[in-house]
Amino acid sequence: MARPVNPHAMTPSRPGRTRTAPPQAPNGWYAQPRMLRYLLFDATGIVYLLVGFVALRVVWALGSGPAAWAELMRQLRNPLYVAFHLLALVCVVFVAVRFFRLFPKAQPGHIGPAKPPPGPVILAGLYAAWIGVTLVVTAILAGWVLR
Amino acid sequence: MSEQKKTFVVTRFDPDQDAAPRQQSYEVPVQPDWKVLDALNYIKDEIDPTLSHRWSCRMAVCGSCGMMVNGKPSLTCKDACADYGDRVEVAPLANFPIVRDLVVELEAFLEKLRSVKPYILVAKERAVEEGTYRQSPEQLEEFKQFSLCINCMLCYAACPVVANEPEFLGPAAIALGHRYNMDSRDEGQHERNEIFRGEGTVFSCSYANECSEVCPKHVDPAAAINQAKFNAVIDWLSGFVTSRGGK
Repeated sequence: MARPVNPHAMTPSRPGRTRTAPPQAPNGWYAQPRMLRYLLFDATGIVYLLVGFVALRVVWALGSGPAAWAELMRQLRNPLYVAFHLLALVCVVFVAVRFFRLFPKAQPGHIGPAKPPPGPVILAGLYAAWIGVTLVVTAILAGWVLR
Repeated sequence: MSEQKKTFVVTRFDPDQDAAPRQQSYEVPVQPDWKVLDALNYIKDEIDPTLSHRWSCRMAVCGSCGMMVNGKPSLTCKDACADYGDRVEVAPLANFPIVRDLVVELEAFLEKLRSVKPYILVAKERAVEEGTYRQSPEQLEEFKQFSLCINCMLCYAACPVVANEPEFLGPAAIALGHRYNMDSRDEGQHERNEIFRGEGTVFSCSYANECSEVCPKHVDPAAAINQAKFNAVIDWLSGFVTSRGGK
């Protein structure tokens, strides 16, 4: 027990009669695999923020004419950019899988008279929707549809 | 099967003498069927009577003996010594002020529990001659899981939000509030949902799911909190189409 947490965590609104030691958490708590996965899940937000900046840059280049667009496309072929986008893909998959796993039990018991389907059905639906949307977006980007 | 010597490293804190918690080691001859609580009781009875720890029922019902065992929130009457190695670290529940040794300050937890109005609220009590409040098995099933909480507070020790946001109501309190919101006999949903829409309540939860992972009674507080989020939003939206006017 050595890592301090917020000193006011679980502190009563009125102090008790005896002196207490401030709340602590065990050393290595955040290094435990479950917590580590949760922290990685939260940390993916940084990657999404950076992806957002790249997206803004793409829009900016699009509005700046063919030369700016060609230059950006050239830069995006840089191995560092490719690696970054691969990292972003890994993050998306990681977050999606975690979200899908936790989503079914977060459903309300009922909405009016209707009850949500069983967890495995919701999970299968989420994966089906993910695959479906991925195929549609891929088809559009690859020029197979909407030419 | 014979006894096995294990070293128990126990957190000690005497508010009259110690500036900060410290650790003390005890060699304990552990019997094969012992739980961690049995080892602590052995230390108290046979080695060091000054050790303070809470316990009562010894059958995972009272929720008194929650502690950190090897860094994980555990119900010590349920966790077998055999599941741990030769060195077992026992510490008070994380995220709680320490009163003495393995005893933590409970008052803040009780304040949080009280704040969600954990009882059936009705606009008008039914007269005795009108009969009992009846409930079908299906209606009971809607909240039964969330009523199994034994207030052991392991979920508070596991929650990363509790560690960082002192005002957070926390898993057990929200699960209990949600349990009453789901009760067909209750009419206090709007009152509780207003509380749930406030600062440091359901929307502070980042769904780490740690509370559910450590819950010894499989209450699944993380599910309760996230269902409560949905209900709180629906309640707020329904205010726009009813006389409450978005409140």
